[in-house]
Formats: sequence, structure tokens, C-alpha cells
Amino acid sequence: MKPTNFKHLFSSYDGNENLFDEIFDKKQNVRKVYQKLFDIYNDQSIEEFINLNNKAKTSFFNQGITFQVYNEEKAQEKIFPFDLFPRIIDADEWKIIEHGVLQRCRALNAFIWDIYHDKNIIKAGLVPMELISSSANYLRQMDGLDPVGGIYNHISGTDLIKHSDGKYYVLEDNIRCPSGVSYVVYNRNALKRSLFGVFNHYDIHTVTDYSENLLEILESVKPKGVDVPTCVVITPGVYNSAYFEHSYLAKTMGIELVEGRDLVVENDFVYMKTISGLTKVDVIYRRIDDGFLDPLEFKKDSAIGVPGLFAAYKKGNVTLVNAPGTGVADDKAIYTYMPEIIKFYLGEKPILNNVHTYHCSRATDLKFVLENIHNLVVKPVDEAGGYGISIGNRLTKLEIEAVKKVILQNPRKYIAQPIMSLSVHATYIEDCQSFEQRHVDLRTFTLLGQDKEFVLKGGLTRVALKKGNLIVNSSQGGGSKDTWVLKK
Amino acid sequence: MYNYTIKYSCVNTYENPVFESFWQYIVTPQNNSTQELSSGVFSVSNDAVIEKSINGYNFETARIHTKKPFESLTFEAVFKLTKTKDNPLKIDPKYKIEDGYKALKELDFQVDYEAFLNTTELTTLPKEQVSLFDFDTSKSILDNLKRLNNWVHKYIVFKAGETTTETLLETVIEKKKGLSPDFTHLLCAIARVNKIPARYVSGYLHQGDGLLGDSQMCAWVEVLVPNLGWIGLDPVNNLLTDHNYIKVAHGRDYKDCEPLKQLLFSYGEKTSKCVVEVTYEQ
Repeated sequence: MKPTNFKHLFSSYDGNENLFDEIFDKKQNVRKVYQKLFDIYNDQSIEEFINLNNKAKTSFFNQGITFQVYNEEKAQEKIFPFDLFPRIIDADEWKIIEHGVLQRCRALNAFIWDIYHDKNIIKAGLVPMELISSSANYLRQMDGLDPVGGIYNHISGTDLIKHSDGKYYVLEDNIRCPSGVSYVVYNRNALKRSLFGVFNHYDIHTVTDYSENLLEILESVKPKGVDVPTCVVITPGVYNSAYFEHSYLAKTMGIELVEGRDLVVENDFVYMKTISGLTKVDVIYRRIDDGFLDPLEFKKDSAIGVPGLFAAYKKGNVTLVNAPGTGVADDKAIYTYMPEIIKFYLGEKPILNNVHTYHCSRATDLKFVLENIHNLVVKPVDEAGGYGISIGNRLTKLEIEAVKKVILQNPRKYIAQPIMSLSVHATYIEDCQSFEQRHVDLRTFTLLGQDKEFVLKGGLTRVALKKGNLIVNSSQGGGSKDTWVLKK
Repeated sequence: MYNYTIKYSCVNTYENPVFESFWQYIVTPQNNSTQELSSGVFSVSNDAVIEKSINGYNFETARIHTKKPFESLTFEAVFKLTKTKDNPLKIDPKYKIEDGYKALKELDFQVDYEAFLNTTELTTLPKEQVSLFDFDTSKSILDNLKRLNNWVHKYIVFKAGETTTETLLETVIEKKKGLSPDFTHLLCAIARVNKIPARYVSGYLHQGDGLLGDSQMCAWVEVLVPNLGWIGLDPVNNLLTDHNYIKVAHGRDYKDCEPLKQLLFSYGEKTSKCVVEVTYEQ
């Protein structure tokens, strides 16, 4: 039965039975957790909703909650598209997600430690050395170096999807500089401002405690001998796509936001230039990629880094969060080995599923990929933001041949996965002035510190706004939703 | 016992004032089993301060950060060190030729020496030149490496001005001319293709004995031979390294041991002249 009382907002809601709908079950009945919310939205007229939607958009614009899209011609600044219908995750479901992402983050941390120390997992023949040595993010300068508390991936963003079987699968582990958490908080604020009444009917975990937990994590990895650490956030600058987030995090943690030129290294200690002289800096939450951190150690032409920073880090006088070289595990080819990695270091079975992955570097996999591109998603191993992804069933014959050619030029650079059907969620579509099914994913945020772990009870639900589109990245025209995690 | 004094000096002049600059020198001789540094004195003009530190690969650096504008900067470092004779290679007659090749194939060995087994941009042979030099596995690894050293020595003519420190092997092979970094990159590349760990060494060469080199820092190779350890090969002079070779740093290629890295905020022409003098006292 299709809901009849939603004739306005849900007038063109065409439930595709082959997709997993977060709100409606197979029989098109509203799922229990959504029932109350569904009833509340039902009381609104379409005009009221359009009005609310416009207000929310204006609010985002006025607050400068924007992001940059890079393309070949120019960089464009866009408002982050926000959908007023939240996603709800009930307590039991969340428990699985939380345990699952924590397990992955712990295992990845142990893996990175091992890679930069004894390399036992490679010597055991479980992960090929070639995969590590060919990774652009493998920093040999980290060999034998012990970060404070043994933590590398202090901040992780794990991307999950729900497949048509109703189970969660991990798509990616982002452990370089994952972004998006500021949008989680602003989505919540925007929804509270627009529809505060709906919050009375649900008992939801807060998401605004992220910054205080992040600050605690930063302070927990202070260098030895420091009592009260000075922490800063370093940004590449105002032209970076995530600058809004950098400034948001610094502001809400109550710490300084700096650029490379604001810091100076003297005798292997890092100082911040202030109007009252130099202030020693102990912990740096860096939102600059490894290669640009220090022109004397990495890329010579980096103008956004701090000369001498790596030497100060190596001496243990400053902590960098996340640790340099962490990206070695943020590689889609390493992702394939996650079940083995979890088993090897933790002796546990993975809680969350992995999507089966074909490595183009393996001859048999390569053959399969080349023969079955039309049924696969081909991804470059080291790109973020959804760039370079080819979805096989959307390609013309000519395009398939072009993809094959690109893969064959450098097979190590590509992996392929079966086309997963992301779950769909009712999303307001402006052009149709009604709700429609759109594919969604979920980015969770996990923090690891010395004797402290934290998973943000919420996350960034990203929506592919184009009908049928599976790529949810904001840089590719995706939007987002507030994500509610219910209390038990 | 050989006592050396090494003087490294650099004069840099600029067309326009340099407002701020960062310099990082990797020129300090290493302390190791055959060399002991007794003193290192650094001096720099313009009241700039020198800081000593350690780089990512555990080699000593001397860093300078100038904060006032200048048009010329002089840097000088004087090192005194004692070098002892290398122990002659102790070849175990019981260790068979095939044991050496077997050791190269072991996973643990390949993982432990991964950094020096994989090629880098500067140590990649062009595809069609991968078998430029044939290894004869009926001979020992060391014999093959000595043959290779001799082969590289003959293959490239020592000539300045043909290449830079970052010239790719494709060009070096085409020109067959170059300086010590080119000889070193070629030998490293061929050794690595044959699964033998090889590293680029930067250092000073005492030229008193009529050895070829230049008046700047030199480069040679260290190869890891199972059961023997790291062995120094100088393809420029077709020699195994001895007390005349004073090691500063090693890495996968030139880029890992660049003697000077700098960041300057200026524009216009610049000239840079660096000279190395190695003197020997008995």
C-alpha cells in the first residue's frame, strides 16, 4: 500500500521494490522508527515545506557553509545542499555500526604500526610487500618512528552503505584528512531551527560534542613532558575546499587556526607567531597532506608547509594528528585485505562487511575486470572525492574501451567492485516539489587517542541528488541529511 | 689510521635581496665502524644561526633560517675525522654460490631491504634496457657486482656538464656521459633489477691518490651481499671503496641525500658556488 496521506510531498514518490528503502519496507509500509516523523511531515502543506526549505538554504548561505568544487576550468564555491528530512538509525543498528567502525580503526592503527616497524603481516605472507612499496602514501621517513601512544589514525571517516540485503558494507576507510564533520553539526542546527518540534518526539544523541572530544583526543597525545598542551589546527588556507570546516573546528575547540607561515621551527620546537611573541605549539591537527607538511623533508616546492616541522615531530617535540604516513592504509587496494588485517591484529571476525574487490594488479582479477566492466565499478586506489570512478552499467561501448585502456596503462592504480545498490531515502527534490527516492551512504567519524576512543553518534548521510546516481560526494553534486542516532 | 680534514664551502649571490630563506645541508660525515668524526665546525655569514638536527632518514642536518634581507650568503663547514682501514672481505668458503641467490629470494630479506630493492624515478631503467647487463648466476653475487662495477665504469664516460643530479637514466644511457650520481643511479638500477639491495651513498672522496671525482660531493653505491653485508662500489673509478671514501648519507637515490635543500623568498638570477677540499694528514 502506498501512503495516501502524503499526496502533497510524496506525490511522485515511486517506491522501487528492488531498492532498499530506509523509510518504507517491501510492502510500502512506513518502518516503525520513521512512523512519528512521517506523521509530522504529513501535517505540512507543500507551500509550508517550500518556505521552510528556502529558509534553511538562506541560513546555510548566510553562515558561509559552503564548499569548493574543483574542475579543470575554475574552482566554484557552492552552498552545501541540505535535505530537511532526517535519516534515523535505531539504537540496536547503531551499536553494530559503532562496534564495527571502532574495530576497523583499531585494526588499521595496528596495521600502520606494523608497516612502519616489523612488517609482520607482510612477512606472514598475508599482504604483499608490493602493495605497500608502490603506495604513494608510504612514507619511509616514518620507519621505526613511535608516535605518542602508538596512535596514527587519530581521526577516521568510515564510509558505509546499506545494500539491498539490508546489511551495512564499508566502502572506504578515510584516514588521511577526512572531512565532513562540521556539516554533521550544521545539519543538526539547521534542522533544529527549521523544525524544532520534531525533536520532541525522538530521544536523539547529540552531535555537538564532537569538538570537545576531538580536543580531548588532541590533548591525550601531547608530547612527553608537556603539562598543558597548546593545540592548533593548520589549514592550507582560505582557498581549500574544506576551509569552512577547518575554521569551524578551531573555533569550537577554542584553539588557534593557523597557516604554515604562522608557524616557525627553532631548535626542533614548533612555535606560533603571535603579537606577544613566539608561543610553543605541542599538538597540530593538520589538514595539510603529508607531502606538503615540510618543504625540507618532502615536496621542495610546498609553500603551505612549515620548514623543519618533520624533524620536530621526529624528535617528539610536537605531535601531528593524523600521523604522517597514515595514508598507506587509506588505499583502496589495502581495503581488500581488511578482513585479514582485522583477524591478524585483533583475532576477531569483522563486524562490518567488505565489498568484494578485484585488484587490477593481479593477473586473474585484471582479466575478470576487463571482461566484466559493464557489471563493475572501477576506482582509482588513491583518489578521494569520487573522482575517476567509472560505473560500468552507465558506460557506452566506447567509454568501456577507454576505461580498459586507462586500467592497462597502470593496473596497480585501479580496483573494481561489483555495483552495490546503495539504500534509498526519501529526499525533497526542488525541481519536482516533492519527495523522491535517492541513494544515500553514511560517513561515520571515529577518534582514537591515548586511552580514549570516541565514535560520533551520528554521521554524515550523503545523498546523490541526481536520480539514479550512485556517487554521493559533495564534489560530484551530492547533498546531505541530518542523521539521528536514537537512544535506547 | 687516516686523519682527514674536510672543508665544504658555498658562496651564494643573488641579483635581488632574499627576504627570508631556509637552508638544510646534509654534509656531516657519518660516524660508523670505519670512520669517527672528531669535530665539525659550521659558520655562516650575515649573523644567521645554524641549528643541527636529524632528517627523516636519520642523517645529521645543519639548518639555517635567515630572517633579514641579504644579497650574498657564505656557508662553511670544517670536519675532522679519523678513518680506519676497512676489514678485508671475509668470504666464507662453505657458503655456496647458490645459497646467496637463495637468500635473495627469501620473503623476510625482501621485506627488510624493500627500500633498496625497488626502483625510484631516478633509478628506473627504460623498459627496453632492462637487460642491459646480464647476471651470470654460475658466478657469485659479489663477482657479478664487481663485473657490473667494471661494466658501468666503461659504459659511461666521466664528463661534467652533460647531466644534472636529477637526470633520468634514459638520458644517461643515451648520452653515455655523466658524473658520479649518474654512474651510481645506473649501478643501483641494474643491481635492483637483479634483486640485490643497492643504495645511493653521498660523501667525500679523497682525490690525493689520483682518483676521479669532482670538487663537490661525490656519490657511490653500497650493495648488500648475503653473508657479507653492505659493500661499497665506486663505478667511477672501478674500485671497491676504501679509506679514501668518507660517507655522509645514504638513500634510495640522489633525492634522499641531497646535500642542500633550500626555500628562498626572492626573484631574479642567482649564482651558487660550492667547493669541497679533502686533505689528509698521516
